[in-house]
Amino acid sequence: MVLLKDPQAWQHGYALMKQTGLQSGTLYPLLVRLSDQSLLDAEWREADKPGKPPRHVYRLTPAGLAFAREQAVPASKKIGALSGAKA
Amino acid sequence: MTQKLCRRLAQTLMRHAARIMPAREKNWGEAMQNELQVIEDDQVALRWAFGCVIAGFTERMSALLQTWYGRSGLACLIALLAVREFFAPLLIFAYRMQYLGLAHFLGLRTEGDDYRRLIPVMDATPSWLPVLWVAAGLLYLIALWRMLRRTGGSTAPFFLGFALELVGIWAVQSVQAATGVVVTPNPIVRAAGVALTLAAGLLLWWATRKRTLAAN
Repeated sequence: MVLLKDPQAWQHGYALMKQTGLQSGTLYPLLVRLSDQSLLDAEWREADKPGKPPRHVYRLTPAGLAFAREQAVPASKKIGALSGAKA
Repeated sequence: MTQKLCRRLAQTLMRHAARIMPAREKNWGEAMQNELQVIEDDQVALRWAFGCVIAGFTERMSALLQTWYGRSGLACLIALLAVREFFAPLLIFAYRMQYLGLAHFLGLRTEGDDYRRLIPVMDATPSWLPVLWVAAGLLYLIALWRMLRRTGGSTAPFFLGFALELVGIWAVQSVQAATGVVVTPNPIVRAAGVALTLAAGLLLWWATRKRTLAAN
């Protein structure tokens, strides 16, 4: 869902960890799975600061975007249904 | 822990994490390693590196369990567990049916190398207990078959078999207490047997689980 917020923006692994609250031990296997299934683009980018090594950046592929939206819709529908039931 | 030590430990862990990543995912190991350089807080860096070791181990394990030798090793282990479940019923059957040659042969594979030591236990064993062991062994074989056929649903029969095995272990305790004969005197061997079964079950779950994607 974090990658869905701004689908065109490339995200670093550490930034993703901070935004999702996932530990690196959970996050990276997930990123590997997504990439294996062609749902995630990954590429190397030069570091912003000189002397630092290049960093891996990620963003959803069109297929990944469609998949993430598909996953997001039922969740929002469920929330809507729940709040409707409460009201 | 001093900040310097934290950072050095994080770097050591990170190198290890990158090394244990499977060959086809080496660039992911490098990506995790390079990310460490931009984390300024040493405590956070250490947590990051520790997580990366787990990630590396997870990937290595998953890759291993998808190889033919990894799956074959696991298959052999499950087959061994099934054979172990059939052992006691077969020995009791051989003894009760007076197939003493077979009983002697099987007795050589027990602690003490003699089935006659176990006669009080075999006499006191209720007839439902060998049925339970055979059922557990059959469930292991079903799990093995499903794993090899990749049909899914292999962990449920395995853990059902394991539950029956635990019931069997509990039942044997009372038979042993009543007769005063202990089948496996060494508690470490008994514990290792249970631990091995549990490890096989976890590996089976790992090898056959669906690779789901989190909604985060």
